[in-house]
Amino acid sequence: MQVFDLGSTGTVSGLITAREAGLVACQRCGQVHRQDASYCKRCDGALQSRDTESLQKVWAWLIAGMIAYIPANVYPMLLTSTLVERSESTIIGGVWELIHHGSIGIAIIVFVASVMIPMGKFVAIIYLAVTVQQRSGAHQHGRHKAYEIVEFIGRWSMIDVFVVAILSALVQLNTIATINPGIAAVSFALSVIFTMLSAQSFDARLIWDADRTAG
Amino acid sequence: MTNTEPTGPARLDVRPVKRPVWKRLSLVWLVPLIALGASLYAAWQSYQDQGTLITISFENAAGITAGETAIKYRDVTVGEVEDVDFTFGLTDVLVHARIDKTVAPYLDDDAQFWVVRPDVSVRGITGLDTVLSGVYIEGNWDTDADVAQFEFVGMEQPALTRAGQRGTQIVLRANDGSALSEGAPVLHKGIQVGYLETPELSSDGRQVVVTAFIESPYDRRVTSSTRFWDTSGFSVSFGTGGVSLDVNSLASLIEGGVAFDTIVSGGNPVRDGQMFDIFDEEQAARDSLFIDPNAAVLEMAVLFEQSVSGLSEGAEVRFQGIRIGEVSDLSAIVVGEGESAEVRLQAVLAIEPSRLGMSVDATPDAALALISDFVARGLRARMVTGNILSGALLVELVQIDDALPAIVTLTSGQYPVIPTTGSEISDVAATAEGVLARINALPVEDLMDGAIDMMDSIERLANDEYTRAAPAALVELLDETRTLVASEDTQAIPGDLRTVIRDLDAIVASAQDADLIGDLDSVLETANAAVANLDAATENLPEIIAQVETLTAKANALALEGLIATANDTLAGIDDLVSSEDAAALPGTLNSALDEMRGFLAEVREGGAIENVNAALEAANQAAQAIETSVSTLPELSARASRLVAQTEAVVNTYSERSRFGTETLQTLRDIQTAADAVSALARTIQRNPNSLLTGR
Repeated sequence: MQVFDLGSTGTVSGLITAREAGLVACQRCGQVHRQDASYCKRCDGALQSRDTESLQKVWAWLIAGMIAYIPANVYPMLLTSTLVERSESTIIGGVWELIHHGSIGIAIIVFVASVMIPMGKFVAIIYLAVTVQQRSGAHQHGRHKAYEIVEFIGRWSMIDVFVVAILSALVQLNTIATINPGIAAVSFALSVIFTMLSAQSFDARLIWDADRTAG
Repeated sequence: MTNTEPTGPARLDVRPVKRPVWKRLSLVWLVPLIALGASLYAAWQSYQDQGTLITISFENAAGITAGETAIKYRDVTVGEVEDVDFTFGLTDVLVHARIDKTVAPYLDDDAQFWVVRPDVSVRGITGLDTVLSGVYIEGNWDTDADVAQFEFVGMEQPALTRAGQRGTQIVLRANDGSALSEGAPVLHKGIQVGYLETPELSSDGRQVVVTAFIESPYDRRVTSSTRFWDTSGFSVSFGTGGVSLDVNSLASLIEGGVAFDTIVSGGNPVRDGQMFDIFDEEQAARDSLFIDPNAAVLEMAVLFEQSVSGLSEGAEVRFQGIRIGEVSDLSAIVVGEGESAEVRLQAVLAIEPSRLGMSVDATPDAALALISDFVARGLRARMVTGNILSGALLVELVQIDDALPAIVTLTSGQYPVIPTTGSEISDVAATAEGVLARINALPVEDLMDGAIDMMDSIERLANDEYTRAAPAALVELLDETRTLVASEDTQAIPGDLRTVIRDLDAIVASAQDADLIGDLDSVLETANAAVANLDAATENLPEIIAQVETLTAKANALALEGLIATANDTLAGIDDLVSSEDAAALPGTLNSALDEMRGFLAEVREGGAIENVNAALEAANQAAQAIETSVSTLPELSARASRLVAQTEAVVNTYSERSRFGTETLQTLRDIQTAADAVSALARTIQRNPNSLLTGR
């Protein structure tokens, strides 16, 4: 059994990790085990001190998400057919239309949810992955906060997809008016899912591991 | 971590073993790879599926919207308009469209494109769906892939003939294009077997040429012996069979149409582009069957001085009763110059040489030479009544034996002129009216009344009791006369005479005494004359008696016993009369009365009056018979007259009906036009602003 200098915990210099203490915490329930334990004795979850493939997964999901994001912007999101007209609108096109119609507020919401957040997530994940890879020790707390924000906010990007899904389900009035999801809706949903998986694959513990190696 | 080493066992080196990159690769990399692959595939697919770009130019691209307007082939969308712009100089609208790759190879030079818009016509309403959905471009091409084209000229009107549609295209020729409109039906035995395309003027501008498409298999019904005629509107014809109104389908009534029939078999099958003439009427078409309608005609003019009212274009030209052509034109022209200028009515005759007995390929010049020859020998043109009911006239070329010499002249205009002779125009209506007027004017009733009155008078006279009493009264009268003659007074007349003579002697003696001998002589002479008179009167008596006896015999023959009582009364009255002094004066009076009576009776006996009456009765009888004959023919005559009147009335009614009908038809047409305009305006509005359907603006 190792003896830990707990007095220095909470400061960067005196920080000691569970790994350094020969412990491993269950990611699911928080139960701390000895490092050699493979499965959590409380929740039977797999225990892993560090996910060695974390960055690979992050990059892979991120790239997939970015790929999916391209058709999500190129192809139409909504296929609106009314009695007299058939229109297709992409995300950006929809935002422009809303601006033209004077609905600036809604345009901002759509723009934030559909463009700002996904793009921000890409940027944030790339930033986190790159800094971890370079074992940079700067802005540990900032990066940690960024990671938490990314993980929290990721699901809200699905608001677009929900809107499309609800509209498509409700507005099916045969010839009078029909709204159908376009290819972009599927792509967008995939992109959001991929980026969420990417954020989830990120092992936040690597942030302070890098700090350790750097320090 | 190295400077502050805690107490305890040496720190474990937990750094993982470096593994080769490919071993460390996570399976999760498959996800972006799949995503990338799918995206690339989709992009490639999209690029591959991108249709062939074609360009169609239109004069009018109303309703075509880039990115929306579809291109359809047989109602299936095969492409979409990508862009709309103008040609250099803004003359045409260029529509750029993507056509499906599978279809593009078939777009060769027979491909046609037109814009489908709502269309309301007599044949129906088409393209109504485009009111809501917006216009689309309809394409049409055959199923053979030839050299693919990429630039096309769009049509302003939908193509009537689908490329690849089976049938035969023929060319129809007509003098008047008013009855021909694009899309008008071609009828055969009442069903539509084809349609007309756009009528055009022929190159010389004299006729209207229209292409007609006869659908398969009906095109087999068209042969070289097929005749086409105009079925537009309706025709009213009348003749001895009455009035017949011929109306075809409503569509052909309004937008015209042609019908055809192949009356005899054995014609040669037609090929595309064969030319046919359109006749004005079915009958004319059928009549023309044995004459080549395309043969050259000789055009000659006739100048009439009188009114040509009743002569119309298309009226027959007859030569010795045979139709040899028709009147092709009527106009007024000025003949002569200056003071002697006068207006003549010129009828242009289109004469077919082949009908003059010349060979089929005889030229008009040869026919002109022939007619000139005839004219020199007395051939003249005149107007004669063609149809006695309608008063239609026709031109007849007739041989006048004692005609003044004349020749065919070329002086007054472009046509050789045939000299004219007096026209024979009988106006049957006027004649019939005259006949009826005369019949009406016959004093039939007066005659009958007169005859009846006369017979009544005769009967009344015969039945009159005075007439019947006359014979008996005569007998009485004669008896009285005899009595008078035998009476003593009469017997005493000689004694009285002697007394008178004695008196006379005494008077003479006294006269002699008074030297009145000369006077006495004259007195004596007067007395002698008086005596002679008396003698004559006496001498007449036997004759009178004989006559009276005859009369009595006749009166006896008349013997009407029933009247004797009356006669007795009369005789009693006569007795009184005779017994009166006045009766003495009767002989002279009686004499003259008897003379008159005798004269009358003589006349009666001699049959003069009777014959007269007989003659009168005979005449009356004849008149009655004549009247009876007339009356017996009257029903027939009146039947004829009523038929005539009915026909005339029918014609008149038909005319008035027609005019009313025409007015109503026109009105209906105007209504339809208005409705169509309204629908078209609505359609245009909706096309331009589809939202108006929803917004209500």
